[in-house]
Amino acid sequence: MAHRDPRRLSRRQFALLGTQVAGAVVTVLLGIPIVGFILSPLFRRQQAVWREVGDIAGVPDRQPTKFEVSFPLGEWTSANVKLAVYVVKINTDFRIFSNVCTHMECPVRWEDSLRQFLCPCHGGLYDMTGNNVGGPPPKPLPQYVHRIDGTTLFIQNRFTESI
Amino acid sequence: MGWIALAYNWFDERTAIRSLIRKGLYEAVPVRGAWFYTLGSATLVLILLQLITGIFLTLLYVPSVTEAWASLNYLKEHDAFGSIVRGIHLWSAYILLFVIGLHMIRTFFSGSYKRPRELNWVTGVGLFVLVLAMAITGAFLPWDQAAYWTAVVVTNIAVYTPFIGSFLRALWRGADTVGPTTLIRSFGIHVWLIPAILFPLIGAHLALLRKHGEFGSYVNYRGAYRSREGVDVPPAPKQRPIEPPYPAVPTDELWAAPLETEDFYPHQTFKDGVVSAGLVILVFILAVAIGAPLEAIADPATTSYTPVPEWFFLPLDELLLLVPQQLIPLVLVLPTGGVLLLLALPFIDRGPERNPFERPAVMVPGAFAVLFVVILTLLGSGRLFNL
Repeated sequence: MAHRDPRRLSRRQFALLGTQVAGAVVTVLLGIPIVGFILSPLFRRQQAVWREVGDIAGVPDRQPTKFEVSFPLGEWTSANVKLAVYVVKINTDFRIFSNVCTHMECPVRWEDSLRQFLCPCHGGLYDMTGNNVGGPPPKPLPQYVHRIDGTTLFIQNRFTESI
Repeated sequence: MGWIALAYNWFDERTAIRSLIRKGLYEAVPVRGAWFYTLGSATLVLILLQLITGIFLTLLYVPSVTEAWASLNYLKEHDAFGSIVRGIHLWSAYILLFVIGLHMIRTFFSGSYKRPRELNWVTGVGLFVLVLAMAITGAFLPWDQAAYWTAVVVTNIAVYTPFIGSFLRALWRGADTVGPTTLIRSFGIHVWLIPAILFPLIGAHLALLRKHGEFGSYVNYRGAYRSREGVDVPPAPKQRPIEPPYPAVPTDELWAAPLETEDFYPHQTFKDGVVSAGLVILVFILAVAIGAPLEAIADPATTSYTPVPEWFFLPLDELLLLVPQQLIPLVLVLPTGGVLLLLALPFIDRGPERNPFERPAVMVPGAFAVLFVVILTLLGSGRLFNL
């Protein structure tokens, strides 16, 4: 038998290496676009848009009042989604809350009998100024980014602090 | 030879179908405990029911936030047979969760996960997790109020993962908030991704079952070895119990012979058939009598709707209520840790003893875990339904 140089690849080693390289190439070529595709929504900035909520001159003092506003639902759909807006007027100060509980994002409601915002899922409570005062919520009720032109309220579909 | 036999021979020569059928049907299975073993086939039948009704539901359902609810509402209002199909899909899913749980509990208490069946158990835990994932993603799809708020709360649990919480939640939702991408992702995961893993895993689970025989339970063995000549040899005083592996055929000079066996077909298939047909009849009755509910269309702006979790989320929901703020990652840690413990079980409890009464170190924590889940469920349902 001819003496083989151990530094040279044998025919078998070459085939083995070739198979592994072929597998790796296919995995990488498929993997990169698929992983990128799954992750891509995370790197798209949500389009922040202004929408008019309405005239808030009639909102009574210390009486949270609910409005609904439509926002675009997503990038590839023309459909809209309605969001709830609680306008709270305390003296001359306005706070513009969403109905999203900071615990598990359930829909919070103003309970007039309690004089508090109540989350029906796990009993979270917020006072009129949005502070989490009872139950599991870890943070105050989120507020919308907003501006008031005269007595007309405009909001963006994002919160002042992320939850 | 008749023409049927001729055709069969022709086919057998080309496919070896005869030996395949023989191997499939005439397997020796244990007589004792046989009714308990129907839980496995019942799980399979219920999963197949999911597959069949699921395939046909895609003939109508539109996975889009503007159309999903409308398509199912049309089904409800105008398509009586379609409503039954959806009812079967829902009720067999509910019963599947229950039966797969019983199947697991049976395996756990009878010690059937022990050597050489560790991977039967591991694939089974994988199947259990995938079935739960099917239940979770499936619950989002109707896009009614119940589905929407379930999607909001369940995907929000991911945010409590340390360090990468908001990333995981956004990945699942496909956005910061639950919306169109969440629905289409859940649909893709529910109808393609999970089934593509689930069904091959069922194949592996069954192949392993056949490889090792259905003799994992302690009730299948007498407290003695049997010699090759078929003579029972009582174990030496300190030798009990019989060491695994428990084969169905003699492998050693002395081997742990299962008690009475009989052919899989028709003896076990009869018991399997009775239980599975009973469950299918039950599913059908529930599908026709109660059907699958559809609430009002999803409304993120609601301030009057009270989200009520599906019954299989009740333990988790109760946990969300009970854990203090600082310990909220527990709602993730407990289920994840539970699954990891289940996966590790056959590698922790490695002794040959299979009798549940002789394995208190495993049975007592196991029983407490089952009790814990049951109590959380009862507390949750008591709170939500004012029982």
